[in-house]
Amino acid sequence: MSFSRSPALLGLSRRLIATPASASRSSLVAYRLLSTSPRRLASLGHDHLATPPPRSPRNTGTLGAGAVPGSDVNPYKDDASAIDKAVHLFFFTEILRGMWIVLEQFFRPPYTIMYPFEKGPLSPRFRGEHALRRYPSGEERCIACKLCEAICPALAITIESEAREDGSRRTTKYDIDMTKCIYCGFCQEACPVDAIVETQNQEFSTETREELLYNKEKLLANGDRAEAEIAANLHSDHVYR
Amino acid sequence: MSLARTLRHIQRAGIKQWWHDLNYIGDAKFGRLIGQDQFGNRYFENLNPLDELPGRHRWVDFAQHDLNATQVPPEWHSCLQHIRNEPPTADKVMQNMSPPWKAPWVENLTGTRGAFKTYNTAAPKINAWEPKVTDRGA
Repeated sequence: MSFSRSPALLGLSRRLIATPASASRSSLVAYRLLSTSPRRLASLGHDHLATPPPRSPRNTGTLGAGAVPGSDVNPYKDDASAIDKAVHLFFFTEILRGMWIVLEQFFRPPYTIMYPFEKGPLSPRFRGEHALRRYPSGEERCIACKLCEAICPALAITIESEAREDGSRRTTKYDIDMTKCIYCGFCQEACPVDAIVETQNQEFSTETREELLYNKEKLLANGDRAEAEIAANLHSDHVYR
Repeated sequence: MSLARTLRHIQRAGIKQWWHDLNYIGDAKFGRLIGQDQFGNRYFENLNPLDELPGRHRWVDFAQHDLNATQVPPEWHSCLQHIRNEPPTADKVMQNMSPPWKAPWVENLTGTRGAFKTYNTAAPKINAWEPKVTDRGA
């Protein structure tokens, strides 16, 4: 009858022999990060160092007429006894172990990221504020095919197009209602020329609703400012596209 | 986090920088200066896991004092948010991708007079009637 969740005496002594005695003692006092600390209070019973017990007797396949298959294997041999289980049940050891976990966290550094100075990791595929891109020559990419307008599930995009003086079809109106947008990214997937993209900018909150009704000039300005970041993100994902 | 780490960082960074950091980031931080952007924001990095927790190993020291996260230009933003591994000063891909027509970065100007105000970019389709009197030769 023991209060610790240890296997039977045989298994415990095998563990003590297998591991050096100083390792278990020094791990108690060593500086541990939460990300690298082992689950000390998790249920024991899986030992990488120990050899697995034989699953069947040596003369496998030679069962006689009176033999009952599996009768020589006791599945509860290494497990806790009924008294052990009753002790853990009636002395609320689970609660004590839970409180110990909480006490450990109390002495560990908090994982708070101080936001405007430090920021959490973001994917190059993050879908934030929209932008219209240009070719490296400075020519705008959008050819007014209206595929993004067609696929937009929130109907947030409005496009009108006209022929330019040189005969190429361009948009005269490219409006995105950012209050309607659900940031699904279908528009940048539908775009055949990589014109409309969702940048990694997530800090475009505004005080009034009207500021979120983006027009073409605003979207082009977003792209002109962040083109280096957009292009680098597309480059880092180009093998998967 | 720990007293030893705090004292170590005070000793490394100096009392003045520590007091500055304590007023802004609220912690005794010390790291390698990995660069400075065009606005004067300074970016630091400390990859030692005994000094900084993972996720808190890159930070920015703003040049301005209004704690506006959008004062970080997009190149440094991708470094600060761990999108790209290297700072833009050492990132060959980002340097090659920067076009010559790149516009200067403007912070989020909402709440100020520079806030974006939308307008129609297309010509109106419904116009008021403008009477034109033909010349009758009188």
